[in-house]
Amino acid sequence: MGSYEEINYNLRPAKCIERKMLCEAFGRLSVFGKIESYGYIGFGSNYFTDFSLFHKALNICNMTSIEKDTSNKKRFEFNKPFSCIKIEFGNSTEVLPRLNLDSKKIVWLDYDGKLTKDILLDLNYIFSKAVSGSVIIVSINVTPETLSDEISESRLEKIKVEIGSNKVPNDTSEKSFPGWGTARVCRKIILNEISQILNTRNAEYKKENKLCYRQLFNFHYSDNAKMLTTGGIIYDEGHESHLTRCSFNDLSFVRENEEEYIIKVPNLTFKEIRHLDEQLPSKNGEEISAPAVKPSDANNYKRIYRYFPSFTEANL
Amino acid sequence: MNENIDNNIIKASPTKELFIFMLTRDIPLIRAILDLVDNSVDGATSIVTDGDYSNFWIQIEASEEKFSISDNCGGISIKTARDYAFRFGRPKDMELTKGSIGKFGVGMKRSFFKLGNRFRVDSTTSSSKFIVEHDVRKWLEETENWHFQFKEKDEKKTDISENQIGTKIEVAELFENVKKNFCLENYITEIKSEIEKAHALTIEKGLSISFNGQPLGKRTLTFLNSDELKPAFYEKSFENFGNSVINAKIYAGISERDYEKGGWYIFCNGRMVLEAEQTSLTTWGISNNMPKYHPDFAYFKGFVFFDSDDAELLPWTTTKTGVDADSSFYKLIRLEMINIIRPILDFLRNLATERALVEKEAIDYSPLEKSYQATKEVSYSNINEKGNFIAPIKIKIQSRPQIGRIQYNRPLEDIKKLQKILKVYSNKAVGEKTFDYFVKMECEE
Repeated sequence: MGSYEEINYNLRPAKCIERKMLCEAFGRLSVFGKIESYGYIGFGSNYFTDFSLFHKALNICNMTSIEKDTSNKKRFEFNKPFSCIKIEFGNSTEVLPRLNLDSKKIVWLDYDGKLTKDILLDLNYIFSKAVSGSVIIVSINVTPETLSDEISESRLEKIKVEIGSNKVPNDTSEKSFPGWGTARVCRKIILNEISQILNTRNAEYKKENKLCYRQLFNFHYSDNAKMLTTGGIIYDEGHESHLTRCSFNDLSFVRENEEEYIIKVPNLTFKEIRHLDEQLPSKNGEEISAPAVKPSDANNYKRIYRYFPSFTEANL
Repeated sequence: MNENIDNNIIKASPTKELFIFMLTRDIPLIRAILDLVDNSVDGATSIVTDGDYSNFWIQIEASEEKFSISDNCGGISIKTARDYAFRFGRPKDMELTKGSIGKFGVGMKRSFFKLGNRFRVDSTTSSSKFIVEHDVRKWLEETENWHFQFKEKDEKKTDISENQIGTKIEVAELFENVKKNFCLENYITEIKSEIEKAHALTIEKGLSISFNGQPLGKRTLTFLNSDELKPAFYEKSFENFGNSVINAKIYAGISERDYEKGGWYIFCNGRMVLEAEQTSLTTWGISNNMPKYHPDFAYFKGFVFFDSDDAELLPWTTTKTGVDADSSFYKLIRLEMINIIRPILDFLRNLATERALVEKEAIDYSPLEKSYQATKEVSYSNINEKGNFIAPIKIKIQSRPQIGRIQYNRPLEDIKKLQKILKVYSNKAVGEKTFDYFVKMECEE
């Protein structure tokens, strides 16, 4: 059973904010090539929320949704919101090698599970094929493993067994995993994997064509489980100036290193939201406030108000 | 310079004994023989233009008295013999033998030193002929002179007929351990199998090799193929690894199940350097984010061909028994091999799952098994269309509802009564009918 059956993705507020932030960042890719010419590959599930947003906001038309549930094909086909979406059925490990990555792509591997060797294998495929200008994003569950009764089964051992001990960074210890620690370890593992693949791939290229990776996203959020979304752009060394011109750094949520951007969603009423909105954007970063709203909530709202979702009951 | 004049000289030149010891210590006898076969195959390769080796033969004889290898593979020119073939190491300015497998310039001499005390090389090309014959013990005695001598040579011979062209190498006064090995039938079988393996590709292309009069066998390089189930084929040329181009071809798919023979086969300039590779050196195991080799994967077969005019660019080890795992070119290709094998392993896993379900009678038949059974054997060389491995998509199979068994005792009188009411004759039927009745009446949703 996929998690789509438990919850409508639209209702995950942090995810919703993240999606809008990503969309805004994608808009800046036009320096590398018309954004309409990009292809999008994602896991649309039954709701296709990301597909709808990226199609409407960016006019991306070449869209592929990877769907692992092969028993409900008709339902997925029926729920496709736009005709330009193609659904490929099968696990990502099976489907990805069938997809052509010869042209610029935005790929969002939005897994619900934890980091596994299959995920690293998916990255292996994408990073061994993706061309300059492509953006690749991975979301994984980084809730620390529950401490089992058996003391011998440590979190460190568990991850070593899952992905191989040579992939776990040297300085990782048992203390690295609690809280958001698992997210930090996983980001490092993913980054190391990407570097290794590009390094291997670059053996073939002359200097100006050598491929580089620049991390752009390092989101931490928790609608329920702790989630990590990390990703970035592949570019060849000759195109470094393109990257500068994209000015990703002007976006408050872009993170190029290990520092994370935490999406925290305050619980506010519509009346409070309207009251806060009237003070935004605040001049010179002044504090905003609403009666009886905690200053920290108001401050969190200030960071994300442009992406803030509003949920209401509606007759559509 | 005379030693008396220059007292500053400290002797650092190697002795011949050390040299021979170092050269031969790390090389097994089998490899020494294979090196000689490699030279003959190189000779044929330099002549063949259309990939057809059927005009060429190599004959190997090994006994207690002597070892010999003869071929009709073009012969060695006097220039090659003088400047290269008998030298230790390949001079930098030596012209490349295109697509050759002998690359380090040690093979032939090393083999002589490994085998015995006397050697003789008799070689004829279309325009020349020479004989070199030496007693290694005598050569060792002359400590300062490293040269060999031609015993006979004719650089401009005109009356040579086609069937005289070729090389015959003989090593006599074999060393004791060599003699012993040549008397063991198992050892001879092993050598034959090693040659068959190393030159599987050229043998398949028509080269005939015999050992003590027996022809060596062909190894089939085939896949199972159908419209639904097709091997993958990848081909690419690389120009940035040196002055010559390296061509890489990867064929991968499934064949008959064989645990020993499953895995990757890697060829460098036609020479098989890895057979049925099943470790992390290729694509297996967690360091490659892949599963370990496993009985379910024993259907897998992959052939990788690296070809280059410059043999030194190829990622093989000096002994030609493996690939150089540190080669950046090999790592690049391995990335591709991993991408190619993934869907094949997925298919094999799904096949195993379906078979297990059939065994448990949870499904009537396995659709993947059916497509596997419908395949036909095809040689790798008939696969020309580039593309990924093609397999039927796994369909979620509606399995039959799981069934449990109930057994219980009730008064016989009651059972008989129910038999009459239900119009059945067995106790079993009474149990089933009453159960069904209860389900129908009480379990409606």
